[in-house]
Amino acid sequence: MPDNIPVTPGPRGVPQVAMSRTSTLVTRTGSWKYIRPAYHDRVAPCNARCPVGIDIEGYLNLLREGRVDDARDLLLQENPMPSVTGRVCHHPCENACNRRALDGAVAIHAVERALGDLAHERPAPIPTATPRAERVAVVGSGPAGLASAYHLARLGYGVTVYETADKPGGMLRLGIPEYRLPRAVLDRDIDRVRAHGVDIKCGVRVGVDVTWDDLTSTFDAVCVSTGAHTSRALGVPGESLPGVRAGLAFLRDVNDGQRPALGARVVVVGGGNTAMDCARAALRLGAQVTVAYRRTRDAMPAIREEVEDAEREGAQFVFLANPVEFTGANGRVQSLTCERMALGEPDASGRRRPMPTGETFVIEADTVLTAIGESSTLEGFPGDVTRNDAGLEVDALGGTTRDLLFAGGDVTDLERTVADALGAGKRAAIGIDRHLRRHAGDTAELNALRFATGNLSAARWMQRDPVRRVDPINDVVGTDDITLSQYRRMPRHADAHLPSDVARGGFAEVNEGLTAAEAMDEAQRCFNCGVCTQCDVCLIFCPDAAITRVEGGAYAIALDYCKGCGICAAECPRGAITMTQDRT
Amino acid sequence: MSQLRINECIPSGDLLTPGHLACPGCAAPLAMKLALNTLGSDTVVVMPACCYTIIAGPWPQSSLQVPVYHTAFATGPAVASGVRAALDMQGKHDTTVMVWVGDGGTFDIGLQSLSGAAERNENILYVCYDNEAYMNTGIQRSSATPWGAWTTTTPAQFPEASNKKDILAIMAAHNIPYAASATPAYPVDFVEKVTKAKAMRGTRFLHVLSPCPPGWKCGDDEGLELARMAVQNRVFPIVEVEDGQRWRLTMDHAGDAVEPYLRRQGRFRHLNGEQVTHIQADIDARWEQLLRRVESSGGEVPRAPALAGARA
Repeated sequence: MPDNIPVTPGPRGVPQVAMSRTSTLVTRTGSWKYIRPAYHDRVAPCNARCPVGIDIEGYLNLLREGRVDDARDLLLQENPMPSVTGRVCHHPCENACNRRALDGAVAIHAVERALGDLAHERPAPIPTATPRAERVAVVGSGPAGLASAYHLARLGYGVTVYETADKPGGMLRLGIPEYRLPRAVLDRDIDRVRAHGVDIKCGVRVGVDVTWDDLTSTFDAVCVSTGAHTSRALGVPGESLPGVRAGLAFLRDVNDGQRPALGARVVVVGGGNTAMDCARAALRLGAQVTVAYRRTRDAMPAIREEVEDAEREGAQFVFLANPVEFTGANGRVQSLTCERMALGEPDASGRRRPMPTGETFVIEADTVLTAIGESSTLEGFPGDVTRNDAGLEVDALGGTTRDLLFAGGDVTDLERTVADALGAGKRAAIGIDRHLRRHAGDTAELNALRFATGNLSAARWMQRDPVRRVDPINDVVGTDDITLSQYRRMPRHADAHLPSDVARGGFAEVNEGLTAAEAMDEAQRCFNCGVCTQCDVCLIFCPDAAITRVEGGAYAIALDYCKGCGICAAECPRGAITMTQDRT
Repeated sequence: MSQLRINECIPSGDLLTPGHLACPGCAAPLAMKLALNTLGSDTVVVMPACCYTIIAGPWPQSSLQVPVYHTAFATGPAVASGVRAALDMQGKHDTTVMVWVGDGGTFDIGLQSLSGAAERNENILYVCYDNEAYMNTGIQRSSATPWGAWTTTTPAQFPEASNKKDILAIMAAHNIPYAASATPAYPVDFVEKVTKAKAMRGTRFLHVLSPCPPGWKCGDDEGLELARMAVQNRVFPIVEVEDGQRWRLTMDHAGDAVEPYLRRQGRFRHLNGEQVTHIQADIDARWEQLLRRVESSGGEVPRAPALAGARA
């Protein structure tokens, strides 16, 4: 403002040429508004949808800042086996990723895998926990049991894991073939659990070698995570013919290093991950493989990538095919008769129910592998614990109907995935901790441990969450809350794969993932939904110049001048500003 | 980082003070903030009658921390020519003289004096922030109002019947050193153009699309999104013209359909499908015309569908 120009005042001090010498700061335009912006960090959809309860957005944000070790530590606070889940998880996080609306979901699985693998080269320090006197037995060393053991050990408990097989890992070792999960990778992640002081006793059959009563009287709490290892029968004529095998038993043999003779033509019945594992393992044993599934491709419960890989490696798919009879010749299965199905009304799962059409057709087969689901059997298990068709009934923290007895994983009536098992193990660990410490928390306290309605955060339970959130609101950021135009396109990095002809020649790992550099690049694609990254967009776009930076990196909104137009909230790339009703 | 790092390209500054009198969500003060902070304090603003006459603040206040000369509607470029001459006489050749005026004062009332100043190639930067009607006086149509739009003087039964003037072509036809279009919704492009214009001498013209929530009948927080839509659907192409000859697209334009843009604004709510088709056809024809201008002046024309929001 020039102030060196002489002004001759007129009557009442008004200059003859009107000249403004003050700024508009005297005008409190903030009084115009009826809604006001505020910075509230919200929940990224990946976090809300992760069955493990990993702060995915949190570790991707740390990677954005180049804090690789901190990202690794944050990941390991929730997930003991990132090298495993990075390879075999069905990644619902990616299905929920808001970046799908721009140029493809962030390849979270690949970043997790890279971080997990890095954690073996550069292990995270094991946090010291105040030792507790109570001891906990975990029955079963699958992902649920290992997760519960890991988190209990981190909470300071002495943990003993009992495993029937001669090596730990449960379904990770018995069910998942090596080409998806190399055993060295699995062993390293299990070693991490051991390194926390967990004692794993293999070759012990609980219910036979040790009774359940022994366990409940010796330990202060027991976590049951024995899995589901019994293949469901189809219940059709001819199922007992030689050559008709439970897919899981076949996988168990293959994963044990055996190479069973299958004949030339193998039919796999089912559409889940066990079916895909059977199909791809059979391909590797030289068979021609046909997958028969009673619904359609879209309705397959298997991970989409597994289906694609099976197809790439040469498996044929027959959809809407429901086996009705096995026919044998010379004392061995020779063909499978299927009924053609048609899609009817949606069933309880939301998928259209396959309805019989009466039309049948025959598929020739030397071996049939059935993989239509597994159920759990518990030998000598106390009869007073409530169970239903799907398994043991558990509450929100894995508690069964008997005191001190908790459960998690496939043995319960919850979703049967590796990630769900890891999440259930964590819930049971928190449940056991609350129980043993006589901690009577309420639902609100538990909900504060969740990302929106997602799984519990161990970091929050242990009050060791390193991520500071600004006045958080525990709701999920949707695609509508994201300002896509603030991002430039950056295509998703694709995992490297072995060529299909090489892949089906052996059991080498097929998906080679991303290089460490690619994975770090991929992490940069994260929108950081709901979390302010101090990108300055609000400050730049505010038409009222009412937003300023403050010391420490945050922003201040001059509410005396903010007119409540909402442009900051609308332009915020990631939904970290919320407009709220003005209180005045 | 996949986010556009706009904060590395946008100058900070406090030459626009809060407390100005723009309506909530008005894009004009955002354009002013970006322009002033790019030009710096050695700037004189000449302001004919327009919304910004009010926005700047009533005497004795001003929201612009540089000298502002309020003038009559038709006289912006003439006054600016005089201010320029006075500054030059004082040896202040580097001081930028910026005329800041709306579409009414540019397309209609000020056009003769703008044409005169451009003919003389006066050393001024002329910025027209175009909200597509006389918004300050109550949303009367101007010759910048698009065909089919509602205003208080073109009610829904008799909507605007003329096409918007191609002001950029008019100014380019004066063969001035620089004529360009921009919008604060794409601040990096906006700032680059102001920076480029500042470094040049002679008449420089910037046509700025500036959404007006009350006049466009949209939400206070929707204006910038609408401006980006207007760019991506080619309602408002982002170009620059050097010496009236070299036409260049400075952003990619995805070529989205115009209908979603129209449907989000109350001023277009009355349009029927046929009218929307007419608007789309007009946009397509103008785009072809623009591409011919770009191509004939040796500029590059996008061959493949462009990515939304990417810089050319």
